[in-house]
Amino acid sequence: MDPMSGREPNLQDSDEALIRRMLRGEEVALGILYDRYGGRVYSVAKRILQDNGAAEEILQDIFHQLWRNAANFDSGRGALGSWLLVMARNRSIDRLRRRMPAATDEVAATLHKPGPDIESAAARNEMAERVRAALQALPEAQREAMELAYFEGLTQSEIAQRTGDPLGTVKTRLRTALASLRAEFGE
Amino acid sequence: MNTHPQYDEDFELYELGVLDGTDKAELEAHLEGCPECRARLEAARSRVALFALGAPAVEPPPGARDRVLEAFRAQGPKHREAPVSERRSRWNPAWGWAWAAACLVLLVAAVWLARQNHRLSRKVAELELSQKQLDASRRNLQAAAARAQAVLDVLNGPQTVQVDLSPASAKPLPHGKAFYNRGRGLLFYAANLGPLPSARIYELWLIPTEGKPVDIGIFNTDTQGNGQVILPSLPQGLTAKAFAVTIEPAGGVPAPTGPMVLVGPVS
Repeated sequence: MDPMSGREPNLQDSDEALIRRMLRGEEVALGILYDRYGGRVYSVAKRILQDNGAAEEILQDIFHQLWRNAANFDSGRGALGSWLLVMARNRSIDRLRRRMPAATDEVAATLHKPGPDIESAAARNEMAERVRAALQALPEAQREAMELAYFEGLTQSEIAQRTGDPLGTVKTRLRTALASLRAEFGE
Repeated sequence: MNTHPQYDEDFELYELGVLDGTDKAELEAHLEGCPECRARLEAARSRVALFALGAPAVEPPPGARDRVLEAFRAQGPKHREAPVSERRSRWNPAWGWAWAAACLVLLVAAVWLARQNHRLSRKVAELELSQKQLDASRRNLQAAAARAQAVLDVLNGPQTVQVDLSPASAKPLPHGKAFYNRGRGLLFYAANLGPLPSARIYELWLIPTEGKPVDIGIFNTDTQGNGQVILPSLPQGLTAKAFAVTIEPAGGVPAPTGPMVLVGPVS
C-alpha cells in the first residue's frame, strides 16, 4: 500500500509511479510492470535464443536488473519499455554469442532517453503491429539482413559471410532498411 | 540542428550492433566528445528497441511471474544486490557466507577485467585509427613537398630555357608600350602590327587632357611588325591622358583620319 496516497497500485499507474512504489518494496507494483512488459521481454529472448529455459533466465535477469538499477533510472514516458527491450535483446545476444555482458551494463547505466510510449496494452499491440508490418514491407533481402543483425547479433561482415553477398551490398541493404524504418517511426 | 550529418545513418547501425572495424571505432571516438551525437544515439537506441516488438508474441512459462516476484521478495526492499533465482541451500550458513564472499570477489574481478578489456579494446581501435590518419597525412605532405621541390628545380635549373606559347592558329595581337615622362620625354615601342597598305604609315598621337590629339611622330614596321618612336619632341605645356596609333597617308597628317590600331590611357 502506498503510504503517500493510501491506495494499492493499479493498472492505470504510469511506469514511473510503479517504479517508485517498487523501490519502496511494493511487490504489487513489480507485478504490474511484469504484466506490462514480461511477455515482450520473454518473446524477444525466445526469438533470439530459441529455448524456453534460456529465455526465462533472461526474463529473470532483466527484472532483477530493473529493480537493481531503478533508483538511477530516469523514467520519462516510454523510457522503461525501450530500456527493457534493449536489455532483453542485448542480454540475449550476449548469451547467444557467449559474450561478457559488459556492453549491456553500460546501456543499463546510460539509457535515459524517453522512447515511444508503449505503456498501455493498446499502444504496445498497435506498435507491435506497425513494426511487424514495416518489417514485412521491406524487400526480402533487406528483411533478412535486418533479422540476422537484430535477432542473431551478426555484424555486417558476418552477415555478408552468412549470406554470401558482398559486404557493400549488405551495408546498403541495412542502411536502406533502416532509412525506411526511420521514415516509418520518425526521427 | 544536426551538425554532424555524416553520422546520421551510423547511430542505428551502431545500436543494431552491425558496425565493425574502423566505422565503429571512428563513431565511438566521435561520441566521446559530442553530447549532441550522444543524444541522437539514445534516440536511435529507442527506435531500434522497437524492433523487439517484431518478435512473435510468446507467453512466458507458467510460474515465471511467481519466480520473478519471489526473487524480489527474497532480497527484501533494502537488499537488492544479487539475484536469488538459485535454489535454497542446505549448507552451513558460514560456508554460504564464505562462498558468497568468494563469489563476490570473483564477480567484482571479472566485471573489472571485462570493463578494462572493453576499454582497452576501444582504445586500441582508436589508436589504430589515429595512426592510419597520421600515416595518410604524412604521405600527403611528403608528396606535396616533393612536388614543390621538383617545380623549384625546373625554375632554377641552369639548363632551363623559357618558351612563350600562343594560340597556334591565331595571329599574335598587336600591342604597344609607351614610357612617358612629361618632363623628360617618351619612348614608344610597337609589336605585331600588320603590314601597311601602300602609301600608308603608322602615326603616333598624344591625346591631351584637353584639346585635340597632337602628332608625335610617324613610324614604319619591320617584317615582324615591330616599330618604335624614340624621344620625339613633345608639345610644350600639354599633359597626355592617352596615346594612340592610327594608319595614315604616307608622310603623316596633322590630325588623325585613319583607323585607330592601338590606344592606351596614361594611368
